[in-house]
Amino acid sequence: MALLEVKHIYKSFGGVKAIQDFSIEANAGEIHGIIGPNGAGKTTIFNTISGVYPAEQGQVFLDGKDITKLEQYKITRLGMGRTFQNIRLFSGLTVEENVMCAFDPQSRYSVVGGLLPTPNRRKEEKRGRELCAKYLEAVGMQDYIQERPENLSYGMQRRVEIARALMCEPKILLLDEPAAGLNPTEVAELTELIGRISQQFGFGILLIEHRLELVMSISHMIHVQNFGQTIAVGTPEQVQHDPQVIEAYLGKEE
Amino acid sequence: MSALVSNVLTQVFITLIAVAGVYVLTGLTGMFSLGQAAFMAIGAYASGLLVKNAHLPIPVAMVLAVLMAVAVGYLIGYPVVRLRRDYISLVTLGFGEAIAALLNRMTSLTGGASGLTGIPRTVGLGITAVSAVVAVALVASFKCSKYGRQCIALRGDPLAAQAMGINVTRVKMIAFLLSVALTAYSGCLYAFYMSYVDPSGFGWKKSADWVIMVFFGGVNSLTGSTIGAFVLSGLPQVLRGLQNYRYVIYAVLVLIILNFKPSGLLGEWELTPRNIKRLFARKKKPADKGEV
Amino acid sequence: MSLQILINGIATGSIYALIATGFALIFNVLKFSNFSHGATMTASAFIAYFAIAGKGLGLVPTLLIAAAAGALIALVGEFVGFRRILLNHSSATYFFVSSITLGTLYEGLVTIKAGSNFFNFPRFFSTPTISMGEQVISTSDVVMFCISMVSLLVLAFIIQKTRLGRAMRAISFDRDTAQLMGINSTRIIQLTFVISGALAGIAGVFLGIKYTLYPTLGSLVVKGFIASVIGGLGSLTGAVIGALLLGVVETVLLRLLGSGYSTIATFAIMLVFLLLRPQGIAGSNVQEKA
Repeated sequence: MALLEVKHIYKSFGGVKAIQDFSIEANAGEIHGIIGPNGAGKTTIFNTISGVYPAEQGQVFLDGKDITKLEQYKITRLGMGRTFQNIRLFSGLTVEENVMCAFDPQSRYSVVGGLLPTPNRRKEEKRGRELCAKYLEAVGMQDYIQERPENLSYGMQRRVEIARALMCEPKILLLDEPAAGLNPTEVAELTELIGRISQQFGFGILLIEHRLELVMSISHMIHVQNFGQTIAVGTPEQVQHDPQVIEAYLGKEE
Repeated sequence: MSALVSNVLTQVFITLIAVAGVYVLTGLTGMFSLGQAAFMAIGAYASGLLVKNAHLPIPVAMVLAVLMAVAVGYLIGYPVVRLRRDYISLVTLGFGEAIAALLNRMTSLTGGASGLTGIPRTVGLGITAVSAVVAVALVASFKCSKYGRQCIALRGDPLAAQAMGINVTRVKMIAFLLSVALTAYSGCLYAFYMSYVDPSGFGWKKSADWVIMVFFGGVNSLTGSTIGAFVLSGLPQVLRGLQNYRYVIYAVLVLIILNFKPSGLLGEWELTPRNIKRLFARKKKPADKGEV
Repeated sequence: MSLQILINGIATGSIYALIATGFALIFNVLKFSNFSHGATMTASAFIAYFAIAGKGLGLVPTLLIAAAAGALIALVGEFVGFRRILLNHSSATYFFVSSITLGTLYEGLVTIKAGSNFFNFPRFFSTPTISMGEQVISTSDVVMFCISMVSLLVLAFIIQKTRLGRAMRAISFDRDTAQLMGINSTRIIQLTFVISGALAGIAGVFLGIKYTLYPTLGSLVVKGFIASVIGGLGSLTGAVIGALLLGVVETVLLRLLGSGYSTIATFAIMLVFLLLRPQGIAGSNVQEKA
């Protein structure tokens, strides 16, 4: 069984069928690109897999465990990390504290430790800060730990968000349009970063992206979505030559 | 110290403990409770009755009263932490009014509208001052802990917080119960300081006053909330001579802050060793330049 | 006997409906609970009281004065308490805190003028009760019910049939887009406050007639809050249904349990409602888009 198995999921909002019969299998070390025009239901796929709302039909398995109906935070704890299309870092917290927030649910001290500086709390906080340092270094943000995210550039905020997702110790990482709003240099750096962390930490990545140069260069498999349906699956090579994909992107040739 | 000053300070410290609780709830977690004063009432009545009727030692009575308030808080918190912002404030408001009605009605136990009398007067300025310092210190420690961080995270973006594995309802519940415990404890002190309690002082207006104090000083700053509690709970006492005008002055002052400095007096600034150092460093800099 | 309780309950409920709709109107456009609504009721009822005192004017002039006073107070309140916060794009929590402060301000001003005394409106009706067969019902209940219903119908007409109502609905749906479409949102918000304040003024006089007039009369606004929670926050129809329901249930409970326990029972009903149907009677369950 694959690390992540999504089997025939459906989701609709009112009359809009956002996902119809979507399936995917992903293993450690693989990068799966999901592309498609706006409104194709790509983010809804992420939301359904990560438990923001449950699928109406179909099942989702993570590492052999059925997570279809689990609450979002439990799915995260089982090993799912994600970033958001429109960066959603926590305001009012520093870069380090933002990343720590993903460690806190794993941190092992009780409410007593929440009120008093017990030895256990100090030990756990130290462990958290060390992990923070490790993941912030992995994304190249180790020099900004005391900054507020709102004072950083867009590209830097993206990196902090990825570090925060890494802190969830994911088996599967969902990246929702990580290159949106970045300039070409930053896109190149990000492409390198995604490839590197996928090798370094050995998780599977699902990647929604509009910037084809990014997806095509690092994905092993590509799913093309249009109006909630999967219209093609294959390697970047195959997908680029698929007539249906060309039609969805460029329109029909008369 | 004159008796008047001591009286004002004692009452300010009692309020400060409750406001520290409201800071956890509203400042850190972003929940608005208009029923917090009811937990103060529970603390005051329960501890008073346990000493007066059951003849328990005062510290034991206080601990039991706080535990009782927390138990009630858990029941009411179950729906509350699952609701949206405006529903939270309206449900807690309804809860507070219900508790006040209950205290008014259970005449044989609580003395009804004429109040509960004959509670031994054992609490003075010393105990309330120490309690207030400890309460603020505990809240400061809570803010720096994993709980404080999770509260701030879910306040701004509950969905992203969940996506990071934060159990939003659980963290909200912990914050709510900590707030309830502090408020109930301030009620215990109130009962043994005043030696008399009646239901009229525990309506939603009191809870609303606490929220205003937090916003006045700075909703994102514990230091600010503390100062807010000092200024705004002291003000009506100091202005006692102006009688009815004091609430108008109070309201105008708060409206000015809300309009012209919405983040409150202190904004996000906290009194920490590092910030104090920075403050002095900034002040020294111009002097240094002058020498060169 | 039972019909009498029912009529009494509906009459009480119709006053609650005035409160709840005034509250829901503001919730609709600005998305916050306006806690100054109660004090607006008290202040406008007092203004009407002092304006007619000793002049022997009837109920209708009193209501008109109160409605005008309420509208004016709400308009000033919008400017003093909410305008800047709106322009700063601060979070809705500031509206909420500001509204509580405004409430304190109004109540303080009323207390300066009136002390903490109780005042009675003059008796507006020469015959205090109407007999219908064996049933005896109070005239003021019937009159208050009729006037409340007329006010609510006028409100429904404004919201459904006029340009103002359409603009209000547009703003409640999406303020920024409505503004882009050329709606003067500041003006519409002002008018919403005016309508809400007028409703508060009428409700204030009715509460004054029912329970005598005193500076903290506005606390009864809680009933309106509970009604709109039951009905679904922001829904006007829901607020009216919730208010009538609350009025009847409360009057029945009052007979059965007495005054203290009925408050507790109404709270329990609200909680049960929220647990069973968190979106209220008329609210729709909107799924948040992530």
